[in-house]
Amino acid sequence: MSRGFAPDSLGVMDAMSSPQPDEDLVAKTLKGEEDAFSQLYDRYRQRIYSTVYRIIQDAAEAQDATQEIFIKLYRSLSDWNPQKAKFSTWLYRLATNHAIDCWRSRRRRHETQNPDDRKENSRTEYSMGDAILTPFGALEQKESLDRIRRCVDNLPELQKKVFLLRYFQELKLEEIAEIEDCSLGTVKTSLFRATHSVRRSIRRIGGLQ
Amino acid sequence: MKRTGSRHYTEEELLMHFLDEGTPAAGSEISVHLDACDECTAIMQEYADLVARIQSWAVPEVPEGIWQEKKSILLAQYREDRGSGKQRGFWGFLKQGLGAGWNYALENPLPTLAYIAVAIAFALERTITTFRLDRILPGASEVFEFLRQVF
Repeated sequence: MSRGFAPDSLGVMDAMSSPQPDEDLVAKTLKGEEDAFSQLYDRYRQRIYSTVYRIIQDAAEAQDATQEIFIKLYRSLSDWNPQKAKFSTWLYRLATNHAIDCWRSRRRRHETQNPDDRKENSRTEYSMGDAILTPFGALEQKESLDRIRRCVDNLPELQKKVFLLRYFQELKLEEIAEIEDCSLGTVKTSLFRATHSVRRSIRRIGGLQ
Repeated sequence: MKRTGSRHYTEEELLMHFLDEGTPAAGSEISVHLDACDECTAIMQEYADLVARIQSWAVPEVPEGIWQEKKSILLAQYREDRGSGKQRGFWGFLKQGLGAGWNYALENPLPTLAYIAVAIAFALERTITTFRLDRILPGASEVFEFLRQVF
């Protein structure tokens, strides 16, 4: 039984159950068909939210940012060129850029905040998954997730985006290179550096053999 | 310990192999090497454990009711925007730009004040004289004089 946490695959299942291709829905949305836009929202909301959440690391702000992303989406939908990128690629670019902007504002706010409030706001929202853990195991897992979160929060922006898109959206690196408009080599290096930073951070608590 | 004649692979190569992101040819070479090399196998295993641990970071579930509520708000906004033709056009763009500028000013008051100060400084008499703006814009000195009297 999951403890109030949803897997990222929910959005994927939505996408699978919907037979209409993205291109058709986009064309209909541009013509003003509300139902088509509603389907796009249902198809992508969970995937966008989960990526945004892991960048911003605050559930309420991630929900608001997801909403803003969908507003931006329909306002700039006519800019999408299907010859240049898949719809999902274009949407992820829009979403990660917006999420990074929100994360920057949030960070600026936190820098000017009272340290006690900051501690309160950074209270963690974890999932222990479905595994049954011993108290020690649960503590260790909580600690390692905390380190992963903090480490991801401190990664340079490109590394952070590549890391999240690869491990949580399970996008291929070529697709991420397209989203970020950079070379495959840059994406590979960014992913390796990000993963290595997380590995070093977890190793310090003896979380990995 | 198993030994192998081929070179050890870098951690980056091993991670890419684990993520199935290398070329098929490189992949089969690494697989052969891993069968014979304990050292590289241990590193690969460590990355496998790490990725599993990373992926255990789940996201708080948003109740369906909240999604529906947000969708209603979004669709209402969509209808309103389409109705008022806000979606495209010069005025929409201008309004969006001014809105973004205002948000920036609220979030970054000090840099904004600095930009305003620079803009005012640029209009100073000295600037007018230095750049001989009087020749380009006749009456610039009079305007500046008027502003000086007002402020």
